[in-house]
Amino acid sequence: MKTFDAIVIGAGPGGYPCAIRLAQEGKKVAIVEKDKWGGVCLNVGCIPSKALIHASSQFHKTQHLSEMGIQVGAPKLDMEKMQSWKGGVVKQLTQGVSGLLKMNGVTAFSGNAVFKDAHTLEVSGAQGKETLSAKDIVIATGSRVVGIPILKFNGKNILDSTQALDLKKLPKQFLVVGGGFIGLEIGMAYAKLGSKVTVVEALDQLLASVEKELVQVVEKKMRELGMTVLTSTKALGLKEKDPAKESVLHLEVETKDGKKTLEADAILVSVGRKPNSDGLGLEKIGVKLDSKGNIQTDNQGKTSVAGIWAIGDVNGAPQLAHRATQDGLLAAAAICGEKAYRDYKTVPWAVFVDPEIATAGLTEKEAKEKGIAYKVGKFPFAANGRALSTNEAHGFFKVLIDEKTESVIGVHIVGPEASNLVAEATLAIEMGASVEDLVRTIHTHPTLPEAFPEAVELTFSKAIHVFKPKR
Amino acid sequence: MDFKLPDIGEGIHEGEIIKWLVKTGEKVAADQPMVEVMTDKATVEIPSPISGTIQTVYAKEGETIEVGKVLVVIQEEGKAAPAPKPEPKKAEAPTAKPTAPSSREVTPVATAESKAVPFGVLATPATRKLARDLDVELGAVKGTGLHGRVTKEDVQMAYEGQSAAAPRPSHTAVSSTSVVPHTIPTVAAPQRGALQTIPLRGVRKKIAEAMQHSKRTAAHFTYVEEVDMSAVVQLRASVLEEAKRRNVKLSYLPFIIKALIPCLQEFPYLNSSLNDEKEEIVLKGDYNIGIATDTPNGLIVPVIKGADQKNIWQLATEISVLAEKARMGKVAVDDLKGGTFTITNAGSIGGVFATPVINHPEVAILGVNAIRKRPVVKGDQIAIADMMFLSLSVDHRVVDGADAARFMNRMVFFLSEPTRLVFA
Repeated sequence: MKTFDAIVIGAGPGGYPCAIRLAQEGKKVAIVEKDKWGGVCLNVGCIPSKALIHASSQFHKTQHLSEMGIQVGAPKLDMEKMQSWKGGVVKQLTQGVSGLLKMNGVTAFSGNAVFKDAHTLEVSGAQGKETLSAKDIVIATGSRVVGIPILKFNGKNILDSTQALDLKKLPKQFLVVGGGFIGLEIGMAYAKLGSKVTVVEALDQLLASVEKELVQVVEKKMRELGMTVLTSTKALGLKEKDPAKESVLHLEVETKDGKKTLEADAILVSVGRKPNSDGLGLEKIGVKLDSKGNIQTDNQGKTSVAGIWAIGDVNGAPQLAHRATQDGLLAAAAICGEKAYRDYKTVPWAVFVDPEIATAGLTEKEAKEKGIAYKVGKFPFAANGRALSTNEAHGFFKVLIDEKTESVIGVHIVGPEASNLVAEATLAIEMGASVEDLVRTIHTHPTLPEAFPEAVELTFSKAIHVFKPKR
Repeated sequence: MDFKLPDIGEGIHEGEIIKWLVKTGEKVAADQPMVEVMTDKATVEIPSPISGTIQTVYAKEGETIEVGKVLVVIQEEGKAAPAPKPEPKKAEAPTAKPTAPSSREVTPVATAESKAVPFGVLATPATRKLARDLDVELGAVKGTGLHGRVTKEDVQMAYEGQSAAAPRPSHTAVSSTSVVPHTIPTVAAPQRGALQTIPLRGVRKKIAEAMQHSKRTAAHFTYVEEVDMSAVVQLRASVLEEAKRRNVKLSYLPFIIKALIPCLQEFPYLNSSLNDEKEEIVLKGDYNIGIATDTPNGLIVPVIKGADQKNIWQLATEISVLAEKARMGKVAVDDLKGGTFTITNAGSIGGVFATPVINHPEVAILGVNAIRKRPVVKGDQIAIADMMFLSLSVDHRVVDGADAARFMNRMVFFLSEPTRLVFA
C-alpha cells in the first residue's frame, strides 16, 4: 500500500489544479486518471471545440473579405487537416498538464479508482492493481454526456459532442437535438463550414437560462447562416430510410404545427450531462448523493464523509471548468487548514456562438426575485468604434446597477469577444465596484471594453456615444 | 503510538482527567474525542490524532497529569501492536499534534452554506477572505465605505471589538480542542429515603476549590451603598434605538464598567492581587474585568481584557458574546485568564444585595444588584427613584474599610450623574 497525504481522483480542470496546489503547500499528493490528462475540458470539450469554432469562423470570414476590398478565391475546406491541427492544440495542452503535475512532485496513476474505505482506494490500470491510502481524498471525476433512448449514440452518425467534434468529413445535413450551449456552438461551427444545420429544442427558447434579448441577436445570425431553428419541438424517433432521399437519417419531430420529418447525415444529441459519481464505491462508504446523482457537499467541498471531498461537475451545477478549478483550489486550501469557502458572488460563463454571449452576476429576473431595485444600461456595439472597424458591430453590452448601492450586480453581453469582455465585469462585481469607480476608470480607445463604462453611464442617461433623452 | 497530553494553552502545565470517552480495546477514528481534560477553569476534549485501537489507558478519571506525559497508547490501524511499555517516559515534548479541525470535522452537509456572504454585502474578495480568517460575520459588519461598502479596516475593527472575547489560539494544539461543558446531569430530587452521590468533578470541583481557597485566605468584608440610577436608566433608554440599529444587546453592565474604570484608577489597591507566598501586593496596570456568569454547569468568569480602552458598544458586544460562549460551554481557556477585578450581577435574578466571594487572587469584587423603584427623600420631598444597592467585597488584608467607602463614594458620584464620566 502506498500512503499519501491527499489523493485526487480525476485530472480535469478541477482535479489537476487541486493536486498541484496541494503539492505546492507541501503535501504528498497522488492523482489518479482513468482516461486522459486534462479531462473532458482539454481533450474533448472546451479546448477542441474552441479550436474548431475558431477555424470555422476563419473559413466563414474569408468569404466576406471582399467587403473590405480583399478578393480571394472561394476557400477550400480540408476537414482532415483542420482536425489534425485541432489535435495538435489539444496535445500541447494535455502534455503541459502532465508535465506540470510531474514538476510539482505529484505522483500520477493511470487507472480506475474505487473506494475500499474512506481513506483507501484500489486503482486498477494497465499496470495491474495498486492500493493507495490518504487522509484526504478529493473526487474530481467530472460528468459525462447523457443520451436519449430514441436516439442511441452509435459513433457513426448519431453522435455525442465528443464524436461531433471529431468528424473527418463535413456532413451535408447536420441535425442538432438540444439547443443548449454545446449544440449551438457545434451547430453554428458546421453551418459556417457549409453544412445545412437544423436545431431542435423542446423548450420555447434556445439557451433557456440566457436572457431572451441576447438569444435573439444570435438567432438573427443563425438565420443569416441558413440555419433552421425549431423550438417547442420534440424528437419522436427515427423513421425508415426513404430510398428516394440522399440523406441517411430521417427524424420525426412534433412541432407546434404538427409532425414533421427532418433529414440528416449526422445527428448531434446534446441534451445534458450527468455526474460521474457511479462506479467509485461511494454507496459503500456512505458518501451522500442527491436525487440526480450529484455528490452533496458543503461550501468547502466536504462531503458527508470526513476526509472525502468532491469538486467540480460531480457535485452539481454549474458544470463549468472554471468553477471546478476554483472548487479545486478552495478544497486544497481547506485541506491545508485554511478557512477557504466558496464565497464568490458570481460564476461567469460564456457561450461561444456567433456573436458570443457572456454573463456575470444577476439576470433581471433574478434581481427581481431578490427584491433588488435596479437600473439597466444597454450600450450597442454599433456605437463602438472598434466593433465597427472589425466589421463585427452586432449585439450589445447590458449592465444592471443596484439603485441602492450603485454597484454593478449583473452584466450580460452579446457581441464580439463577449467571453473576454466579461472578465472585467466579473472583477467589478466581486469588488463591489460602483458606478463612480467604473466611469472614472479610463478604458483604452479604440477597444471593445469601452462599451462597459458607456453602458454604466446609460443607467443614468449620460453615455457620450448614444443619445438618450432625459425623462 | 504513545499519545501524550498535548500543550493545550499558554501557561497550562497539567490537567485533570474528567472522563474517558474511549475504553481499552475500543477502535477510534482520527479526530474522534478520546478524553475530557479539565485545565484551569475550562474542560477540553482531546481528539485522537490517528485511527486505530486503544491499547492502554494510563491516567484514571480524577487523576491530574502533566503536559507531555503519556495519556494513552493507540495501536495505529494496520500496524502490529508494539510491545507494551510498563512505564511511559516522562516529560517529553508532545509529538502528536492533533490536526487542524477545519479540514477534518464532519460538518453536516450544507451547514456551511449559512456562512455565505449575502449578495448585497459590498466587500472585495480580499476583505471577504479576511473576515473568514478572523471569524467575523461580514453581514453584521457596518461598512464605512461608499454606500455601506465594508472595508478591510471595518472587518479589522469588528474583529478587535470581539477579539478579547475570542482570542486567536496561540498554540496550534489548542485549535484542535474545543472547550466542552462538563455536564453535571440535571437531576431530579432522589426518592424519599434514598441517597444519590454525584462525584465532585470538573467545573463544580474547581468552583469548590477556588471559593474555599478565597474564603480561607482573604479577610472578607462587604461594604454596601445605594445609588440613584435614574440618570443611567434615562441615558440607557435614550440610546436603545441606536443599540437596536447596531444590533447590540445593551444592559446596565457597560455603564457600570465605565464608572468603575476611573474609580479603579483612583484606588489602584482595588485593582491588585496579593501574592501570599512572596508577601507582596501587586498593583495592575491593566483593567481586565471579569464578569461572573451563571451557566448550566456552574459559575464561570470570562474576562473583558483592556476594558479601559473600550467604548460602551464594544463592552456591550463583548459581554454578550462572552456570556453566550460561557453558556454554550465554548469559552476558550484564554478567555478566563488575566482578570484584575470582578463584577457579579446578582440583581438579574433577585435579592436586595449579596455579599460576593472574592475571585482569588484578586482583592475586590463588586456585586451589582437589582434596580428597583423606591421612594427616596430628595430635599424635603419624597420622590420615586430608580435605586440600586452596590455591594463591594474586599480583602481587608489589602484594602481598609475607609478606602472601600471612598471608592464606593466615587462609584456613586459617577453613576448618579453619568455625564461626570466625560471629565473622568
